[in-house]
Amino acid sequence: MQNFISEQNLNVLLEQLIKSGKRVVAPRVNSGTPLYEPLSASGEMDLKELPRRSAKEAFFPVCEDILSYEKVGLNVKLSDVDPARFPETVLVGVRPCDAAAIPVLDAVFSWDYKDQFYLERRRKTTIVGLACTSSDDACFCSGVGLSPSTTKGSDLFLTPLEGGGYVCETYSQKGEDLVSNYKELFVDTTSAKPLPLAEVRTETFDLKKVKAWLDNNFENSYWDGIAISCVGCGACAFVCPACHCFDIVDEGAEKKGQRRKSWDACGFWKFTHHASGHNPRDLQPKRYRNRIMHKFKYYDDKFSQTLCTGCGRCIRVCPVGIDIATIVEEISHK
Amino acid sequence: MNNHAALDTSIYTAVTEAIRVEAQRILSEGQVTAVIGYAASRRKGSARPVIATDAVAADKLIFTAACVNNLAVYLTKAKKDIHKGGKIGIVVKGCDLKALIGLMGESQLKREDLYLIGVPCSGVLGSTMQPATELTTATIAPKCCECDVHQPTGCDFIPSVTVPSTPQLEGKYSAEIARLEALTPAERWSYWKEQFAKCIKCYACRQVCPFCFCEQCLCDRNKPQMVDSTPRPSGNTAWHIVRAMHLAGRCAGCAECERVCPMDIPLNLLNRKMAKELKELYDYESGLEVLEKGPLNSFAEKDDQSFIK
Amino acid sequence: MDNRTQQDFEPKIIAFVCTWCTYAGADLAGTSRMQYPSNVRVLKFPCTGRIDPVFILKAFQQGADGVLVSGCHPGDCHYIAGNFHARRRFAAFRKLLEFIGVDLNRLQFSWVSAAEGGKWVEVVTDLTEKVRTMGPMVEFKELALEEQWSGAIDTPELKEAYNAI
Ligand code: SF4
Ligand code: SF4
Ligand code: SF4
Ligand code: SF4
Repeated sequence: MQNFISEQNLNVLLEQLIKSGKRVVAPRVNSGTPLYEPLSASGEMDLKELPRRSAKEAFFPVCEDILSYEKVGLNVKLSDVDPARFPETVLVGVRPCDAAAIPVLDAVFSWDYKDQFYLERRRKTTIVGLACTSSDDACFCSGVGLSPSTTKGSDLFLTPLEGGGYVCETYSQKGEDLVSNYKELFVDTTSAKPLPLAEVRTETFDLKKVKAWLDNNFENSYWDGIAISCVGCGACAFVCPACHCFDIVDEGAEKKGQRRKSWDACGFWKFTHHASGHNPRDLQPKRYRNRIMHKFKYYDDKFSQTLCTGCGRCIRVCPVGIDIATIVEEISHK
Repeated sequence: MNNHAALDTSIYTAVTEAIRVEAQRILSEGQVTAVIGYAASRRKGSARPVIATDAVAADKLIFTAACVNNLAVYLTKAKKDIHKGGKIGIVVKGCDLKALIGLMGESQLKREDLYLIGVPCSGVLGSTMQPATELTTATIAPKCCECDVHQPTGCDFIPSVTVPSTPQLEGKYSAEIARLEALTPAERWSYWKEQFAKCIKCYACRQVCPFCFCEQCLCDRNKPQMVDSTPRPSGNTAWHIVRAMHLAGRCAGCAECERVCPMDIPLNLLNRKMAKELKELYDYESGLEVLEKGPLNSFAEKDDQSFIK
Repeated sequence: MDNRTQQDFEPKIIAFVCTWCTYAGADLAGTSRMQYPSNVRVLKFPCTGRIDPVFILKAFQQGADGVLVSGCHPGDCHYIAGNFHARRRFAAFRKLLEFIGVDLNRLQFSWVSAAEGGKWVEVVTDLTEKVRTMGPMVEFKELALEEQWSGAIDTPELKEAYNAI
């Protein structure tokens, strides 16, 4: 089977994609920080580190315009953003914990309301996943039933081999199209062994038990204990591949401006602050409780899925060392 | 070969022991209702802020190079659910103490409500994303390289250990500020433009800052909307300018804002640049003594006005 | 970006003034029929102490090419010390803007009393002419067009609209 691609040919593939006018987004280092960003040349790709922000922003941008307004005489002229302008994108080198979150997000963005911004970007994107060969003690994909070789969410999946190059498997029409459009870059599989996968904590949390406890413990002193130190920033939500709350604001002047959609986070005090001045989640533990409830109960209630892929990002960036893996583990033993 | 020398953190064992004993004592004698300190967490080498209210919890307190947080933030209005009144104990490094002094000056705290456990400190990590990192001349927080308060004073209790003399470390902030000052305005603009573009407005920098205790931040308001709230380069730049301005003359230099930034933006350069200017203009330095008024809410008739026509 | 030539560039100058001194001074210039550039838009405040640095920032963001802040001479403040406070605040703010990379030639501070119609004319004329030779302030305008990569879409009309400002 022609399913081997050398490192060199992968670079050629990226170059050709860029030349063909596609936006190629891959891990790259931006003034010291690893991020998924559009490449202008294949050499910029740097797969060593897990990007600080997840791949969700390819479909769910940090901030995007949704319409613009302009006062013309006595009327207001509204112009919608034309989704036809969203670029065709190939997302390369996506870690399994990032790719696996994408089908999870699909559920909420195509539920009662079909979010055309998300769905159109999603439709125009091909996802090339990459088996994970490095981890740290914040990673816990295995805890939520995934693994460093999970192919969920990938259209095409690369497994790095000893001595270089990758075995690629296709998981969707998009993936097959990508391979068949550039077949000359793929050759017969070599006999090389795959590189050893990343080591992760092996035990899987009993998410059913976690949910059962959450079902009955909205009020519990446990929340105060774990979240009293939470400072209420948005770091955990913003780096998370599965968090998807957004805010909509108008920006500009009286005469013209934009309506914009940008990331929001349930940790913020203002998230549930009512116009009346009342805030039902008045203290930080109540806000943090929502984070856990949404991920392990509400999303399960609605979509039978878990809103966490164990990427460990929130654990690494939390200013006060709050560790979601410990919390889920503790709840599963209650 | 690496030329980064490991730093001596051997005193932290004795410091940890002393903190535990003292915290247990003041809690069990009923001198304080709680002690805010650090305890280990699951990840190897990690530490996180905890609020110990009994001797059992106090026995878990630690001090290591991963004890980076400025715990003063938990005593501010922004965290009013923690300090409900009465006397409270808090573990402070010299740099954290400067923030407490500033907060007292701003009438946010009263000295008599605090029991200060000072920490003789040889330095902490610059980043705790990987908390098991060894403390070396490369991994130490830049603020520690320019620190003048390794041995805090004026506390209620300080473990009697001596901070080993640290090798003379390069002052990264002063060097970087000097480098930027030497650039042209256009070059500086493009430097900051690139940095601010990365910001995602997670507000971790604001939330950890002891001086960002406003109930509603100007940058969160939409009536009037002085600063665009979306995380676009334009709104980000405005946010950072406002942030630096609102902290000028108040920032105590704990560098927590910079440490917690998930986008690695060197935020403290702005605050330290402002501190440097206020020192030059008004001979003011924050965190040295409790002052009723800072440099930007006081004045002298002879203040420089060479820039005014 | 901006292909207008310097000759037909008319700088937009925003002046934040206090109502007691500089506003009265500007008024005097007007009633004495003194000529000064019509480039300046005057915004009146109770006191220079009320002029928040964020107003200056906002002015630049909304398209100002130059900003003037003016109030009573030291000792003349209607509220006794508002201008003394403002003096320190703006001294600090200038340093910050300079460090961010804003050219301070676009930002002028002055004391203009109610009797100094002539000084008002001089200050606004000098600033206008200085800014005219510098050309338009493009930094903040360009910034307003930028997006995080993930939100960027190709919208040529929008760019054109901004250029027209
Ligand atoms: S909750 Fe934390 S560990 Fe889970 S997917 Fe989000 S960032 Fe990753
Ligand atoms: S859990 Fe941590 S990262 Fe999340 S809001 Fe709280 S302090 Fe911020
Ligand atoms: S601005 Fe930064 S360095 Fe200054 S006190 Fe706040 S968190 Fe600390
Ligand atoms: S912590 Fe960093 S990314 Fe978050 S708001 Fe502050 S500067 Fe922006």
